[in-house]
Amino acid sequence: MDHSFDIVIVGAGGGGLFAALEAIRTNPLATVAVVSKVYPTRSHTSAAQGGVNAALANKDKDDSVELHVFDTVKGSDYLADQDAVDYLCGQAPLVVRELENLGAPFSRFADGTIAQRPFGGTVKDRCCYCADKTGHTILHTLFEQCLRQGVKFFNEFFLLSLEHDDGQCQGVVAMNMRNSSIEAFSAKSVILATGGHAKMYWNRSSNAAGNTGDGQAAALRAGIALKDMEFIQFHPTGLRKSGLLVTEGARGEGGYLLNRHGQRFMSRYAPQKMELGPRDLVARSMETEILEGNAFTSDAGSYLELDLRHLGAEAIKKKLPQIRELCMHFEGIDPIEEPIPVRPTAHYSMGGIDAGMAQTAVRGIYAIGECACVSVHGANRLGGNSLLDILVFGKRAGQEAALEAPQRKARPVSPAAVRKAADEIKSYASHERYERYGTIREEMGRTMADKAGIYRTEAKLRSGVEEIKTLRERFRHIRLFDTGTVYNTNLFQILELKNMLDLALCVTATALERQESRGSHYRNDFPVRDDQSWHKHSLCTLQENGDIRLGTGPVTMGKYSLEARSY
Amino acid sequence: MKYAYFLSCINESMTRELDRSLEILEKDLGIELVKLTRGTCCGGSNLDYVSPDHFLVINGRNIALAEQMKLDLVTSCNTCLLTLRRARQILDSSPEKREFVNNTLRDEGLCYSGSSDVKHLLWVITEDYGLGRLAGLVTTPLTGMRFAPFYGCHILRPSNLLGKDNPATPMSLDHLVETLGGIPVEYASKNKCCGFHTLLVAEKESLALSGNAIEDAIRAEADYIVTPCPLCHTAMDAYQPMTLKGRAVSRTIPVLHLSQLIGLALGHSREELGIDRHMIT
Amino acid sequence: MERREVSFRIYRYNPQVDRHPFYDNFKVAVEKGITILRVLNHIKEHLEPRLTFRAFCQAGICGSCAVRVNGISRLACTTQVWDVLTGSGDDPILVEPLNNLEVIRDLLVDVDPLMEKLKQNSSWVAPAIPEQQMGCKEHIVSETELEVIDSATDCILCGSCYSECSMMGVNRRYISPPVLLKAFRMNNDTRDTIGAERLQQVTADHGLWDCTHCYRCVEHCTKKIAIMEGIHRLREEALERRMTKSEGARHAQAFFDDIHDSGRLKEVTLPLRTKGVAGSLGMIPLAMKMGLKGRTPPLFMKKIPDIKHVRELYRKLEIRAVVKRHAVRQTERLQ
Repeated sequence: MDHSFDIVIVGAGGGGLFAALEAIRTNPLATVAVVSKVYPTRSHTSAAQGGVNAALANKDKDDSVELHVFDTVKGSDYLADQDAVDYLCGQAPLVVRELENLGAPFSRFADGTIAQRPFGGTVKDRCCYCADKTGHTILHTLFEQCLRQGVKFFNEFFLLSLEHDDGQCQGVVAMNMRNSSIEAFSAKSVILATGGHAKMYWNRSSNAAGNTGDGQAAALRAGIALKDMEFIQFHPTGLRKSGLLVTEGARGEGGYLLNRHGQRFMSRYAPQKMELGPRDLVARSMETEILEGNAFTSDAGSYLELDLRHLGAEAIKKKLPQIRELCMHFEGIDPIEEPIPVRPTAHYSMGGIDAGMAQTAVRGIYAIGECACVSVHGANRLGGNSLLDILVFGKRAGQEAALEAPQRKARPVSPAAVRKAADEIKSYASHERYERYGTIREEMGRTMADKAGIYRTEAKLRSGVEEIKTLRERFRHIRLFDTGTVYNTNLFQILELKNMLDLALCVTATALERQESRGSHYRNDFPVRDDQSWHKHSLCTLQENGDIRLGTGPVTMGKYSLEARSY
Repeated sequence: MKYAYFLSCINESMTRELDRSLEILEKDLGIELVKLTRGTCCGGSNLDYVSPDHFLVINGRNIALAEQMKLDLVTSCNTCLLTLRRARQILDSSPEKREFVNNTLRDEGLCYSGSSDVKHLLWVITEDYGLGRLAGLVTTPLTGMRFAPFYGCHILRPSNLLGKDNPATPMSLDHLVETLGGIPVEYASKNKCCGFHTLLVAEKESLALSGNAIEDAIRAEADYIVTPCPLCHTAMDAYQPMTLKGRAVSRTIPVLHLSQLIGLALGHSREELGIDRHMIT
Repeated sequence: MERREVSFRIYRYNPQVDRHPFYDNFKVAVEKGITILRVLNHIKEHLEPRLTFRAFCQAGICGSCAVRVNGISRLACTTQVWDVLTGSGDDPILVEPLNNLEVIRDLLVDVDPLMEKLKQNSSWVAPAIPEQQMGCKEHIVSETELEVIDSATDCILCGSCYSECSMMGVNRRYISPPVLLKAFRMNNDTRDTIGAERLQQVTADHGLWDCTHCYRCVEHCTKKIAIMEGIHRLREEALERRMTKSEGARHAQAFFDDIHDSGRLKEVTLPLRTKGVAGSLGMIPLAMKMGLKGRTPPLFMKKIPDIKHVRELYRKLEIRAVVKRHAVRQTERLQ
């Protein structure tokens, strides 16, 4: 079955849904479809707890868009494109108010205005939030509004390829997961909103199982460049088994970080601030302990302990009830009685599809949110800016696509593209294949964590690149054990693994190339920022033979010039 | 042991045998149940949304009447139990609402303070009285008889208001059956809904609910269903011929009140206990 | 670390190859602290790659992985194996798909009916702000106004209550608990403008009044939302809006009236008052049979001794209600 729409949006997280709403509003005559491998409310936007930044000045009356821009640019370690950041921060009050207007249940100040709280790396209290469920409520609000507007959803369709004809958008090929039918979605415009790719760190990731970079990989294979892929943000305290984050509150209330000798090891790294040092410093210190053999070991890998017991049962129950519940549900331990096993965890990908202000190099193809690199986060994203990113650029892409669609000629997806996708899938079931999904994925996760993790060196990255290349080679022999056509999750796992492997090569290769330390990218062998050689974006494209070609691009500067990033 | 006994409307009308059989037990067990004759209907699950104020005042008054007697309040109807305990929880957690209720009740000389607990008869028997003590009174053990315990919703859920049995695997009534010498049968429906509350609103669906449970009990080869709730009893006994229409079951099954179950084991006749008044005998 | 071998008995059904559903047994060595979802992942990766289920965030917020564990609907990702061991810990743990939704394959069910019902019942806020003014100004919403709907916005649409609901079990067309909860959440949002219209949709056949009050939805809500409170408040609103034509509304009103009249429910005329004359005709055979057993309710309930006090309470509450309504009108006028 083939479909034809003016606009096809791939991904039903906050960015994709806001794009759909905006497209319909901008051009009510445009036909819009949202294609997603999960039901919209399952998308990973729901996991964002903290909030969304906007200089509403409800709290600090002297807050302004400019200050928000400054915080963002500085946070990015000056790698963000400042025209994009200007737009991001300038639109922030508008999109937040719009969400509020559409029913998002933002927490309120006593005067009834949207409440704002402080967040890391900002000089003013500008983070708007809905208790600790901001992403969840935003996602549901947008989904509800999409139901209201009658948005056409193709739920549980898996993206197979992105199609264009010599730089002009044709559409996408996707598989209906219910019955494995491969279907062409011809579209004048495609908006990719498929989320991040930090799941390639697998056990060492806080991401959802499906954050496998499907849009990024499809774009890469369609010849579109990926930008700044080396930048992956790590959070210091992920739970050992699930990678779920234990928020900073636990350390804020006085929790200790301990190694297996029972030492508060932070005294060696940040004697003043101890456990409350900046996020990246704490993460690096913990990683050092693990590398030096001072960590505990378990089936699920090495870990350190976050000990709250000395705070007492009363304080834990009263001040940290959610953290306690998290530990009991996901780790099976009660922090009143036992220390919490934690370790640094990958949780956000700053890099992605090269998309200047959401527009890619292919006419009609847009990319937004975590799958894209616009770039507003540069080398390091500020808390509260990821939800903002999906809203602002989701809206912009929806608007532009809707204005552009009537003027563009439809170029249908070719039947050959559908056949090609079908052939590839058929080949996985060949009996001559022998590699197992679980083994390759496990090794990929380990390679990424060990070789392209918090501490990077030339030697590690070099062997990381080689290992990922070997895994990609082995992937060619991967065997699909389930040959059924009803919701074949085994097949989707394999397709996701393929996407992650391609992107893992981009991450390791660009990290090897960037010989400096900037934001989340830390090189022991190049521990300082080198603006002379490296104040530029990295780019990578896929060559015919499957190798990666690296390049660079300029950073768009604006009001703020380079300065040391210190807090 | 002395309690205030809440008069449930259904036991004053359709299931009069329940309170009568309970009067017999009172003497056997040495429990005194002082009838709360001044109490009113609890409003069922309905009064709360017709008027939340009335719901609170009426039930605050019911409990206050028991407080005046310095007694805990006992009911043998699940829905009365839940309704009274809901009111109690709201009044205990909100000083403003308590004040409003007490202002309204003042002229009658009543005051809700929260000193009387609200309990189900089943809890009084299994916890306050104790199964060990009850076992000593059994004269006619129910040997070889198979009982399907049907708990009913409002003695189990929501557990944060009721909290005696685990709603997923309730056991208190099973244990009571064992104590009396009977065999509690395992069947899937013991914690399910009888459909009583929608009998007059969604009849077909409600009959399907009670029918499913009855069929389950019959398939588990139970001789009797036993329930601590007169509403469940009505849905499963009075309506049983209707619920079983079109179902492939070979027989009907009598439904006993909790009080009748105990009465049988304590040597009372079916007639005394009013079992012959049931639609299915 | 405590560790033991645990048996899992998992529902399997692939419509392409299986004529009937069956159960597969797996033995897995499990460390304390492992969730049901991790066991399912382990089985899929190491023992049976065909095992089919949904899972996404693994953090209890996306709602994908709801299944029934030992018969109870819950999230696989937040359920600790240690917490659901039964017997002496040796009984197999039963894992099955949610109830009341069609099984697509194994543990995976079709949730489209739920999404469809959300759509049919206007499960969204329809604000008064015109399109072109979107984003210009915030609504002012007080903390107390937000508090009313706060817990309802925790709903993750996992489908556990849909699966547990008694009425859903006998009528798939029933509106279902999560859709009622959404309606409550929208109708109590001060920014919404279509409460009356939504309530019309929600109170249609197989709707609001068909809830049996079994509290299974509340008991098994994975987010601990008091769904029944929402259902009660919707019914309250329906009565306030004088939507009293339905049987459910008339039924409820009867309780209110009877307590005033005699302190007791007049069961004898309850069917007549709920269902009307025509609707009650069908009950005559049952009533006659019950009559033979002496089970018909008395024609006149004896008034309780203190009925005058009760009526006095009603009078006081009526005055209070009038005052309240007046105050509301005053503020409306001021605004």
